[in-house]
Amino acid sequence: MTELAVEVRDVWKKFRLYHERNQSLKSAFMRGRTSRHEDFWALQGISLDVEKGTTHGLIGRNGSGKSTLLKCLAKIYWPTRGEISYNGTLASLLEVGSGFHLELSGRENIYLNGSILGMSRKAIDKKFDEIVDFSGIERFLDQPVKNYSSGMYVRLGFSIAINVEPDILVVDEVLSVGDAEFQEKSIKKFAEFKEQGRTIIVVSHSMALMDELCDRITWIDGGQLKETGSSSAVIARYLKDQRSL
Amino acid sequence: MSYLRDLVSARELLFNLAQREIRGKYKRTALGQLWSLANPIAAIIIYTFVFSFIFQIDAPVGDPSGVDNYALFLVCGLLPWLFFSRVLGQGVEVIVGNSGLIQKVYFPRIVLPISLTSAIFFSWLFEMAVLIVALLIVQAFAVVAFVPLVLLFMVVLAVFSSGVAMVASIVNVYFRDFFYLVSIALQFWFYLTPILYPVSLVQAQSDKLGGILGTPVTIIDLYRLNPMETFIEIFRNLLYDNRLPDLSSVLIALGWAAIAACAGFILFARKEKELAELL
Repeated sequence: MTELAVEVRDVWKKFRLYHERNQSLKSAFMRGRTSRHEDFWALQGISLDVEKGTTHGLIGRNGSGKSTLLKCLAKIYWPTRGEISYNGTLASLLEVGSGFHLELSGRENIYLNGSILGMSRKAIDKKFDEIVDFSGIERFLDQPVKNYSSGMYVRLGFSIAINVEPDILVVDEVLSVGDAEFQEKSIKKFAEFKEQGRTIIVVSHSMALMDELCDRITWIDGGQLKETGSSSAVIARYLKDQRSL
Repeated sequence: MSYLRDLVSARELLFNLAQREIRGKYKRTALGQLWSLANPIAAIIIYTFVFSFIFQIDAPVGDPSGVDNYALFLVCGLLPWLFFSRVLGQGVEVIVGNSGLIQKVYFPRIVLPISLTSAIFFSWLFEMAVLIVALLIVQAFAVVAFVPLVLLFMVVLAVFSSGVAMVASIVNVYFRDFFYLVSIALQFWFYLTPILYPVSLVQAQSDKLGGILGTPVTIIDLYRLNPMETFIEIFRNLLYDNRLPDLSSVLIALGWAAIAACAGFILFARKEKELAELL
């Protein structure tokens, strides 16, 4: 029996679609407490096991609920029903460089962003050179990040997140940014990550990338789990389904 | 309680966010942190000109310090007020304004209002230090003995202010009008707090009128319900008069701080999980 990193048990997530929303005091007074909405179940009873030391992909069409699931996994949304349990520390990378302060230098932002992602100052000190090295921005380290090119910005954000070294890393469509060389480097880093027994959960629309990265893939459709299995098999069936539409 | 533990473990984040606020604010300005003095100084000049020179309001003489100076009387109340109004005025937006961060990264959301308060507190410390130097120049040397108590009540006011800001920031998520309402409420609040004038003037009017509509409740009773009135009185006692505040004022101030902090904390502990989708 292999050890599980993440256990998703019968997770449901409801959103309210508002037709008329009392988001101003005036409308609240005028209409009383009635705000009309309809419930939308973005996730409908998802159960999923992610084994420790594997890379697990989530695929599905736009609006299928995979991003909602990813956000639940990253603790940004909380399931309406059901439960997600983790075995180890968690860090998420849903958008690179969220939390960067544009006027501050790259150096200051490494400390700021590192701590947002849950690193202690000591841990950042220790990892600092590696972060700078990996991002390849050492010449611009003391420049404010607003002067960075978008590529540099992304590389720095990604380098910080990958060096948090959590047991579980949740990643959204971020690998598609950066140039080919950086992508190559990132994929290598992911492999290293896995060798250290860490777990990655990733979402991407690039099937080639998913095939290369993932051990197992879960296909989500209409808020329900369609199937989970070895990556190439699931991807093949997913692509076939896409084409038949 | 587990939320409290989360908060403790996020203390470094709190520190870094406060630092971001402080460093980022005056970046690329020649005067840097000195700018935080500009607002209070402008306010002092304007109010002293209008109220002391034109309206001829007399500042009460500090008892026992003997200080008799309207500008100093004003600033002893104005600096704590400006701190409070900045924390509330900026704090009301702290959740909506950081929606990008909240929707992308998990961390205890309560660090946002607390780090904002810390950053503003830092500027306030700077202003208060300048005030104490000014008091020493007019020879209120006894103020030195009261510095530890001033610091203590600065912390109490910070706890109160951040609690109020926490509640306001959550309300603002549900009703975006709240931000505009707060900025108007702060104007009323400013004039309803004895900053520009001594409480004795309100007392005199209240005595003249007696009970409101035949009840034993007087204007001054209502006036004193304002928590900021209590805080300003305490700061004036310590800084301008150089004496200990009344025990009752101290207890009221501590009570308000405790109520505000608990309300803010409980609200965050309850609502924190929903914030990302409400934004």
